[in-house]
Amino acid sequence: MSSLEAPVCASCHKPISPKENFTKFYCPDCGKVIIWRCEKCREFVRKYKCENCGFEGP
Amino acid sequence: MSKEDEGKEPIKEEEGEGEKKPSEVAENQLVSSGIRIGTTIATKHMKPFINRTREDGLNILDLNKVVSRIEIAGKFLSRFDPKKVLVHTTREAAYTPVQKFCELTGASYILGRIIPGTLTNPSLPFHRDADVLLVVDPQIDLQAIEEAKRMNIPIIAICDTNNVCNFVDLIIPGNNRGRKSLAMIFWLLARSYMINAGMLSPGEQPKYTPDDFETKLEKDQEIEG
Repeated sequence: MSSLEAPVCASCHKPISPKENFTKFYCPDCGKVIIWRCEKCREFVRKYKCENCGFEGP
Repeated sequence: MSKEDEGKEPIKEEEGEGEKKPSEVAENQLVSSGIRIGTTIATKHMKPFINRTREDGLNILDLNKVVSRIEIAGKFLSRFDPKKVLVHTTREAAYTPVQKFCELTGASYILGRIIPGTLTNPSLPFHRDADVLLVVDPQIDLQAIEEAKRMNIPIIAICDTNNVCNFVDLIIPGNNRGRKSLAMIFWLLARSYMINAGMLSPGEQPKYTPDDFETKLEKDQEIEG
């Protein structure tokens, strides 16, 4: 039986609980990498970086 | 460069994201629209986008970063189904720009007060199903941001230097108070969206000009009429 891995926040690199108000979207610049953001990082406006193109948000 | 800007050293010049020069739209046109004029307050979230502070205390945004972010936002929005793109504003100066933007792109919009439950309560008759939310001012469009947060929808916001950007996933720096500035921001956004969605070739211009995007005052309408 394969195990499911929790997605990791692009800012704090912690696993995201499905109960929290996270979001996911493709990198606004290159559109190739899915960026996950946890609730805390969204609230505190922590920076995220695309692994593919280096775009820094928000 | 205007007279007041001459002879002043920029406080901070960051390289990287803001290297693209606004090529197709004249820089004078962008500057005269007031797109980069901020407020006297600068929040820590907006400091990376601020170029310098004028003598009268107004913070000036980096024009290259503004244009670059608008292009990125247009690219980002073009990847969604246009019917699932929701634009919301409670600011009257942004009514016409938002309407024109949605007319060109096919996105849906809510003007004025957003009724609680619009995004979160599917049993309501006015419920909207959105994949991405674009707001004009995160300070006054709080209800929409709160509901998008609960629904795990990515949020794009046009932020001035005084805005606190909690729960915003993509910041578009720019003057979100001026009529001309909002018209220019939404015109650039619509153009970027249409180019990336294949509705417009790169050299082509949309059928509306930035002037058409501007919300007219009653006085102006009387003169034209």
